[in-house]
Amino acid sequence: MLGPAPIPPDVRRPGRNRRIKQGVREFLAPYAYISPFFVLFLIFGLFPLLFTFYISLFDWDPIGEHRFVGLDNFAELLHDPRFWGALRNTFSIWVMSTVPQLLLALGLAHLLNHARLRLAALFRMSVLVPYVTSVAATTIVFAQMFDRDYGMINWFLGLLGFEHIDFTASLWGSHVMIATMIAWRWTGYNTLLYLAALQAVPRELYEAAAADGANGWRQFLHISIPSLRPIIAFTVVTSTIGGLQVFTEPLLANPVGGLTCGAARQCQTVTLYLYEQSFGQFHFGYGAAVGVALFVIVVAFSGINYLLVTRVRSERP
Amino acid sequence: MKRVRSTVAIIATAALLLGGCGGSDGESDSKTFEFWSFANINQKADVDVYTKAHPDVRIKLTEVGSTTETAQALTAALAGGKVPDLVLIQADDLPKFMQSPDNFVDLTTLGADDIKGNYLDWVMAQSTTKDGKIIGVPTDVGGLAVAYRTDLFKAAGLPTDRDEVSKLWPTWDEFINVGKTYVQKTGKPFVDNTPTSVFFQAVNQGSQRYYSADRKLDYDNEQVKAAFDVTLKAFSAGISAKQGSFSSGWTAAMKKGDYAVVCSPSWMLSQMKTNAPETDGKWDIATIPGGSGNWGGSFLAIPKRAKNAKAAWNYISEMQSPKGQLDHFLLQGSLPTTPSVYTDPQLVGKTDPFFSNAPIGKIYTQSVVGIKPFYFGPQDGPIGTEFLNTLTSVEQGKVNPANAWDTALTNVKNAVRE
Repeated sequence: MLGPAPIPPDVRRPGRNRRIKQGVREFLAPYAYISPFFVLFLIFGLFPLLFTFYISLFDWDPIGEHRFVGLDNFAELLHDPRFWGALRNTFSIWVMSTVPQLLLALGLAHLLNHARLRLAALFRMSVLVPYVTSVAATTIVFAQMFDRDYGMINWFLGLLGFEHIDFTASLWGSHVMIATMIAWRWTGYNTLLYLAALQAVPRELYEAAAADGANGWRQFLHISIPSLRPIIAFTVVTSTIGGLQVFTEPLLANPVGGLTCGAARQCQTVTLYLYEQSFGQFHFGYGAAVGVALFVIVVAFSGINYLLVTRVRSERP
Repeated sequence: MKRVRSTVAIIATAALLLGGCGGSDGESDSKTFEFWSFANINQKADVDVYTKAHPDVRIKLTEVGSTTETAQALTAALAGGKVPDLVLIQADDLPKFMQSPDNFVDLTTLGADDIKGNYLDWVMAQSTTKDGKIIGVPTDVGGLAVAYRTDLFKAAGLPTDRDEVSKLWPTWDEFINVGKTYVQKTGKPFVDNTPTSVFFQAVNQGSQRYYSADRKLDYDNEQVKAAFDVTLKAFSAGISAKQGSFSSGWTAAMKKGDYAVVCSPSWMLSQMKTNAPETDGKWDIATIPGGSGNWGGSFLAIPKRAKNAKAAWNYISEMQSPKGQLDHFLLQGSLPTTPSVYTDPQLVGKTDPFFSNAPIGKIYTQSVVGIKPFYFGPQDGPIGTEFLNTLTSVEQGKVNPANAWDTALTNVKNAVRE
């Protein structure tokens, strides 16, 4: 057997080159494939984030001067009662909307997963209707329903002999109103997520449980809930991120107050305050500082929530 | 490698397409210009009149949205986007732009000096910088008057003739007394709300608002306090329907006749017609308590980077001439800023059937002559909002009238940035 014939140098060179090129290409190709996301993220995600932080260090008039003020905006933020009020409102609305929303979604998903449900597809699709309705339209309808003198809810309360409630004017009333709008919109969406996860649970588990005499409630507690834990963790985190950034509902819910959502800023959320400062009053530097603060808060809370939910998951069998 | 290169090329192209919007669209000719207006003021009518008279001129009119949205879009454009050649700015938004006059063409360089005498001097003062640059030409003002329901007045045994009604309330105190009588007779509220219908009118009737004559912040002054106090007095008299202006409740109550009186600047008339068409003919218009005053109005300005400032200026000088403004008033009802037409028989004779044929031209122009000018500062907007919000909180029972002034000052202090 002859060994490989010695390759003349002038022939070997291009061959090696081709092989190196091939290697580089194979090395780069996967990065090129995933690059659209990262390029778009750099342009629309990371750059605005860094630029916001940069602006927050200035007294930034978009059409006038940009005066460097260091961390003054953040110092001012700490002493700004309007910011703390907005933060309180945001958390209050978030809790009021997320908790009932996820519980309701769990229950609905369990019902929709029922083996003997007729017209299952119809019901499953209909829970998504609120989600595909425009937020603006939803908000305007709800705002009219909650109107003090001419709203449907107060008309009903009046029939029952109760006093009219001025929802938009009061702190809790306005929070309930906005939380209702959010829950109405997102419950169906979360229901479908839970339902998708439930569909993956083997039917035999339920059948076996039923054979052992477990009723619907016990099946829900001991089969549905445990198998849903990862998706529950996911919805809690996404609801936290979404809930802390609530904007459209409070903006449109209370047209009298405009950007302050009420005369006493009783339902102004952090994003709405950010918007008021930046685009209402053109204090872009201060608005950016609010944005940075909100970013930190959202990251921190998503992390805490994730830890809590996953901890619960690992502690139980 | 070729594949990589083409992938990179695609990404680069995509990035260019996504990031590179708003570049120049090439040619500029002196016969075409772009005009941004806000919606619901029908600048389209003016544009049509102008292009009919000048068939060679092409105007690209964009109705951006509300007054605030237009100001926001303009801000974004000035900060680095594509600017229009001509833009309509609402009076409340103007002070923010007056802070950075370098963003606009100084209209004195185009001949504004020659025509500035045509306009009400206190309106012109709002768009003139300290060193005499003119940033905007006023298109209209917001004269003040009171719209009232003749049928409800009759039911309450009050006079219905507009001159007699005007005589009932030369001052705000007398206005409050009429309100009390109305409430006693009918058991129904009199005025839509006090923060807008009383405070926003009264505070615009003084010789000073939130800034002193030498352009320093001074909102804690006697005139503002007086307007604030008379509002609290009106509230305490129990005459308010507590329907916040422009809310859904306000509109519903207007339709149902659940209040008899709205203090209505000239630009609000068209909103009332749209909101409550079924009340056609039931309204009339009387003079405002407390004398002359103005709320609102708009200005036309030319951004510095405009491609075709000359064409825009030709448009301004023709359409905003006294004759142009008179024609626009007859067509649309916006109140002219050119006092020379205030005695024109066409203006004086203009009536409106929705408001029982009230001579709206005469009533509203009377309310804007003899105004004592005050300085509009950059923070007028936020300060006005805080005062209004505090008074609204009083109506909602969330703030005790006794503490209202202190609360308002605290809120204003938080909102104002030195």
